[in-house]
This record gives sequence, structure tokens and C-alpha cells, in this order.
Amino acid sequence: MKKPLHLKSGKFKRKQLIILIVCIATGFMIGYSFKLTQNQQKATDPYWNQEDSYREELIEQQERNKELAEEYYSLQNKMREYEKTFAENEEEYEHLIEEAERLRLVLGYLPAQGEGIRVTLKDNEYNPNSTNPNDYIVHEFHVLSVINELKISGAEAISINGHRLKSNSYIRCNGPVITVDGKQYPAPFVIEAVGNSETLVSSLKITGGVFDQLLNDRIVVTLEERNLINMPTINDEIVS
Amino acid sequence: MWLPFLGLLLGLSLGLLTDMQIPAVYENYLSIAVLAALDTLFGGIRAHLQQVYDDKVFISGFFFNIILAAGLAFLGVHLGVDLYLAAIFAFGVRLFQNIAVIRRILITKWEERHIKKDENTV
Repeated sequence: MKKPLHLKSGKFKRKQLIILIVCIATGFMIGYSFKLTQNQQKATDPYWNQEDSYREELIEQQERNKELAEEYYSLQNKMREYEKTFAENEEEYEHLIEEAERLRLVLGYLPAQGEGIRVTLKDNEYNPNSTNPNDYIVHEFHVLSVINELKISGAEAISINGHRLKSNSYIRCNGPVITVDGKQYPAPFVIEAVGNSETLVSSLKITGGVFDQLLNDRIVVTLEERNLINMPTINDEIVS
Repeated sequence: MWLPFLGLLLGLSLGLLTDMQIPAVYENYLSIAVLAALDTLFGGIRAHLQQVYDDKVFISGFFFNIILAAGLAFLGVHLGVDLYLAAIFAFGVRLFQNIAVIRRILITKWEERHIKKDENTV
């Protein structure tokens, strides 16, 4: 049944078929290119998205920059505060340095210089009436008492016959001489002290004090106030 | 008469549903092929209206035009000359000419029918 129909209207059918094919092909091409164009638009979208993401990233970075800058400023302010307190501390440091200087002076690490007194202890002249020469010569305890008194009354530096006394100096009796830090010194003993001379003198001359005691022991004591006394450091002696 | 439109719709839906990917380089060829197909289609319609329609001419023109246009574009790409513009120009001009001819023929037919109607009524 099909065949006769086909034969009968063969030319018509073929024509229709060709038109159908062409139309389908054209439609397919149009549709396909339409879709392709749409895809292309979609394909360009990722670029936009990428740009967007980059922009967002940039904004994020800028915000981070801002945060960091703020942090930087705050830290700077903190540092300035620290500097201020440091400057305040510096004054304290100056005090401390002064204190250290004073302590060094007392310890004898610095050459002392300034007003002070000089006490000279001399053996008394030979007394034929006395059988004991100990009665009129200077003993180490005389020197010690003088030095103790001077220290108590605020002498900054003390020297015996030019030997600067340290905090751990020792004075020993060694027959007719005394030993100071291993060095022997004969009489007369010149004790120099740097400090407020008025105070030192008055403390020595106090009634019943060292001065009286020395006189009592028949020792020749001379006391002179000096405007300028130069004293070496203990290091100088170590070197020499 | 409805068969071509049915075919067109079928082709359109097929094209839209196809999920085939072709390289971006060949998109130019496709656009030229579309133009060639449209040109041949309208040429066929014109020939049909002028009663000079021929199957062989139509079908051979359809495929040959497409292949020629694509080949020209291919040659242009490889020569560095935009030869596909020549194809677009030629097909575009012919498309307009064909459509103009179809329009005139349709207008004449419509007028003839109108005149006939008038004669009948009179």
C-alpha cells in the first residue's frame, strides 16, 4: 500500500522531503548558533565573576591594610607613651647614677677631691720617766678610732699616709709600725679625710671623744682643715 | 504548506537541545553557513513562486553554498584576509534581493486576487 502511494506521488513526496530536510538543517543551524551565542555569553560570565572576585579581594586587602595601619598607629602611640615614661625614668636613672657615683667614691674607685681635714698623729717625744714606750707611741687602735670616728661622721674618703682606705681595709699593729692592707707605715700617721670639714672636726673634738682620748694617751695630734684634698683611687695603688 | 515550518521548528528545537561543543574558531563558519542556508531557502521560495523551482538546483545550491561559504571563511582565516566578509556580503545582498522579489510577487498575486474579487462582485 505504501509503495503505490510512493509511486503515485513520487515527485511530490521527494520535493516535500527535500524541503523538509533543508528546513530542518536550516532550523538546526539557526538554533545551534543561537545556543552557541548564549553559551558564549555564559562563557564570558566567568570572566566577570573572576573580576568580581578580584575586586572583592582587593577591597579585602584594602580593609586589611586599613586595619594594619590603625594597629601601626596605636602601636606607635604606645611606643611614645613608653618613651615618655622612659624619659621620666631617665631622671630616676640620673639619681641612680649620682648614687652610684657616690657609692663608688665611698668605695674608693674614684679619686676623691674636695674639702676635708688632715689629722696627724705623732709619737710623743721620748720620755725618760716612762719605762713603757707603749705609753707614748701611736698604736693602731688610735688610728682605728680616728678612722671610725671619721667614717661615722660622714667622711667620703679616708687615706693613711696617702694610702686610700677601702671598705675592707685592715689595720694591724706591727711593732713600731702599723700595717695597712699589707703595707707598713711608720709614724707619723697622716690621716686625710674628704668630707664636710666642720662636721668632721666637731665630731673629733667632741668632749670625751677621740681627740680627748688621744691627748689622754699623750699622742701629739694636729688637726688642720683643708680646702682641697686630693686622694688617689684604690686602683692607683694596686697599679703602683 | 505547513511542512517547511514544521521542519524549521523541528530543526530549531534540535539545535537548541544539542549539547555539542565546537571550538570558538569555527563559530564564524557556522554563522556564514546559517546565512548561506537562509539565502538558499529564500532563493527556493522565490523560485517556487516564479515557477522555476528545481529540486536539484535547490538541494545542490543549499549544500554547495554552505560549503563554499565555509571554505571561503577557512581560506580567509588562513590567509589573514577577512574573506568571510565577501560571503556575508554576497549572501546578504542576495537575501535582500530574494526577499524583495518574493514581496513583489506576493503583492502582485494579492492584487490579482483582489481584482478578481472585484470582478466577481461587480
